[in-house]
Amino acid sequence: MSKLLSLGKVLIKPMNVVFRPNNFTPNLQVTLSTSSVHNVNFFNKLPAEKLWKSVTSVSNAGAKKGRGKGTGRIRIRDLNRGQMIGVGKINMLWPGLSAPVIRGRELLKQQRLPDDPERMEKLIKLRDSMTRFRRLRLNPIERGWSGSKMPGRSIGPPDPIGEDEFTGFDTKVLQLRSILIMKGSLGRTRNYQAMVVTGNGQGLAGFGLGKSKEAPAALRKAKNRAGQKLMHFEIYDGHTIFHDFYTAFGRTKIFVQKRNEGYGLKCHRAIKEICQAIGIKNLRAKVEGPINIQHIVKAFFIGLLQQRTHKQLAEEKKLHLVEYKAENEYYPKLVASPSVVRTKEEIPKNETLDFVQYVMNDKLILRKKKFPRFYETMPHYQIFLKKYEKYRNHEKIRLNLKVEHGDIKSFLTDKYPEPKEQEA
Amino acid sequence: MSLLIRRFVPTKTCNVVLKQNEPAIVVISRRKLSIVPSMYDGERDPAPKFFSSYVQKLLKRLTRPDFSKVFRKRTNSGVPVLKTPTYKFLTSDELELEFSKARLKADKLLQMPPVVKVHQKIDEVLSQDPALVGYDTAKYLFTDITFGVANEHRLIIERDPDGFLRSCDHDVRKRLNQVYFPLKGRSIKEPLMFSDSEKFNNLLDREKYEFVLDRACVQYEPDEPNYQRVTSITYQHIDMNKKYDLLRSTRHFGPLAFYLTWHQSMDSLMLELLQSGAVREAVLLAALRYAIHSDIANGDVAHALTEEIFPSPVQLSKPEQLSEADIDLDNKCIEFVQKYIVSNSSMKSQQELALQGFREYYQQLVELSRGLQKAHGKV
Amino acid sequence: MYVYAMYLEIMILTGCTNRPFYHISVTHRRRLNSQPVIEQLGSYDPMPNINNEKLVALNLERLKYWLGQGAHVSNPVGELLGLSGFFPIHPRSYMAAWRNRRIERENMAKQLELAEKSETAA
Repeated sequence: MSKLLSLGKVLIKPMNVVFRPNNFTPNLQVTLSTSSVHNVNFFNKLPAEKLWKSVTSVSNAGAKKGRGKGTGRIRIRDLNRGQMIGVGKINMLWPGLSAPVIRGRELLKQQRLPDDPERMEKLIKLRDSMTRFRRLRLNPIERGWSGSKMPGRSIGPPDPIGEDEFTGFDTKVLQLRSILIMKGSLGRTRNYQAMVVTGNGQGLAGFGLGKSKEAPAALRKAKNRAGQKLMHFEIYDGHTIFHDFYTAFGRTKIFVQKRNEGYGLKCHRAIKEICQAIGIKNLRAKVEGPINIQHIVKAFFIGLLQQRTHKQLAEEKKLHLVEYKAENEYYPKLVASPSVVRTKEEIPKNETLDFVQYVMNDKLILRKKKFPRFYETMPHYQIFLKKYEKYRNHEKIRLNLKVEHGDIKSFLTDKYPEPKEQEA
Repeated sequence: MSLLIRRFVPTKTCNVVLKQNEPAIVVISRRKLSIVPSMYDGERDPAPKFFSSYVQKLLKRLTRPDFSKVFRKRTNSGVPVLKTPTYKFLTSDELELEFSKARLKADKLLQMPPVVKVHQKIDEVLSQDPALVGYDTAKYLFTDITFGVANEHRLIIERDPDGFLRSCDHDVRKRLNQVYFPLKGRSIKEPLMFSDSEKFNNLLDREKYEFVLDRACVQYEPDEPNYQRVTSITYQHIDMNKKYDLLRSTRHFGPLAFYLTWHQSMDSLMLELLQSGAVREAVLLAALRYAIHSDIANGDVAHALTEEIFPSPVQLSKPEQLSEADIDLDNKCIEFVQKYIVSNSSMKSQQELALQGFREYYQQLVELSRGLQKAHGKV
Repeated sequence: MYVYAMYLEIMILTGCTNRPFYHISVTHRRRLNSQPVIEQLGSYDPMPNINNEKLVALNLERLKYWLGQGAHVSNPVGELLGLSGFFPIHPRSYMAAWRNRRIERENMAKQLELAEKSETAA
């Protein structure tokens, strides 16, 4: 449907004054002019679509090369926005169109209202706001890892399969990238690849990879694939893994350490998303080697699957497993007991009895030496420490004085008041 | 032997009533009961009774040490940031060793603060020099900071402006010891928590008994009148509100039980024990009373019974199955408690009612366990 | 003839402006102020505290040791030790006390005179 343009240059043809039946006098300013009136101009020869296309269109070859896609391209604006039938340059009241016919008991008539000088400016402002490419503004809760990009954002639970619904599941995008390949027939083609992790926060999680020509389609494929490939993980005490481990996939290595309640997830952001999906709340993971998200995800999942619960460890070792917590005064808490327990004589000499070493398969993490801070080796530092001894305790003293007297003063301050400064 | 007095103060103003023996009285707002503190001052010395091994054993059993509560996470444990737990592989023998070490640690944590008599005033004049009058307007306090001398034996002397050389009294001694050899947690000035009665009662109303008692242990020595005042008010408050469970498995339950038994007001504790079904502990409590006051009809029976009770394990929760030996022991305990209620108790009706209830419940339990044993074929 | 000793027990002034505080320590006789002491045996706070007391700490065991090693005691330290009862009271303490009492008496006398004068005037 073609829309008529109104740029204010189209004149309204005055009504024929001669034709006046029944003494009907319209309240129009009637002007009779002899100049020629143009009803048809460039702007209303063709519909808006075609006009805009003539300015913005790019040839097929040009499109393939990427012409007309950059920042300088002209954006199509709908110029009918902000304009209503009945409201124009000359502010008129049209009963039946822009106002009711009968208002109260009065019969309204056509009349000219005072002009609105800012109308044009408002319209221009509106049209200008449509031109700039607006960056999608997300609120911090919806935001992913950065800006308005997809990685880190949630895309809801996977689609239900038949009657099974994925209740409690949430998927997070880990990677969304566009891959360009050269094809013989088409030339350069663009594909979107998405990596997604899904989980219900209670031990069930899975990751999936999806490819498609469109981004949302790739995400959907990945999400559903992740929903198909769910894995169950045991979580110790509902907040962390059972023991430290080391995994690698390709050349990406991860050292994962179990942490206590309240520590948080101190790891790579991808691992953080996975942990949140599984339901692990406290963990420390160090990624070494190439930081390839797909490798990290695969390595982490492999490591988690290879984990052994406390019961399994006790059965393997045929020894009691006891937990010591510092906040419980290191009370020995029996966590797992095997069916058969070995005695001290049955344990061979070279067996690793240390828990961390056994669990890391006899590998040790290299602990780097901590070097002193740059100022500690400077010559004046020792002298500074000696001088600092004098007022090392002053903060606490000031605090105690405030507690006792309400201000930094002693019992002698009121007895010997300080002289008041003379105001000039 | 001083009696506990609890008075209602219906008049408008808060009264500060001074008795002859007691140095200080707590003033509480008009609508509440006024608890009168009572100290171990007087002719009878609680120390020999408290430190006797028999009484210590009784008190230890009465505290019912529950390891999950003894080793619970505390805010003042000195661990500002939680650490990751460590794991160990142990054989059965090593495990037993660890448990015995844990029991020793529990004993240490449950070591009871001593119950002793209030200390005597120190008033020794070492020398008189009237020729030194006018030397200075201030007192001189001399402390001997020799290394290796215990704080109680330290030489702390004062030279008064009128020329007298005296050995200092206990409060000055404590203050100077804290100045030169500070103990962590102790403050030189008395904490507002203990001196301000409003704050103190607020704490008690909020049931922070353990905090109050722990701080009192750190701040004061056990033979100070202030300490005795604070602890006696706390114990009476607990007794009034029957919140014994808050102090169970802590180190303060022993002195609490001792205090109540000393002042002949352990009947509400007895009632609570009967209501919760701990007949054996009721017997232990009665035996404690006999050990301190020796005024129960069949006291020697008590002693014999306690000898039988000690080897049996600590009852933390209600038992599900009973063996014949358990049933015998419990029956004897019930008879003993019955006799005690009839002869010595002051809350006869309530305690009898509780005992009756326990008897019925116990009968059911006996029938159940006997039935189970028959079903399993172990008649 | 005065015999000079190798060691001296003296009061060393530490503390801040308008707030003296003395360390009672054993030093070599010819020690410069910048050099460290041999051993600190105690402290003396000349400003009375909130209860109007002056706190003195003395490590009597080590004091006895250094006295045994032939250390001499300076006058202020000697006065303090006399006041504490470790030494017999220093004659300077008696003299100071006597002088203070005399000043007191004179002040009292002056005040009485003034009071009498105002009475006669009124």
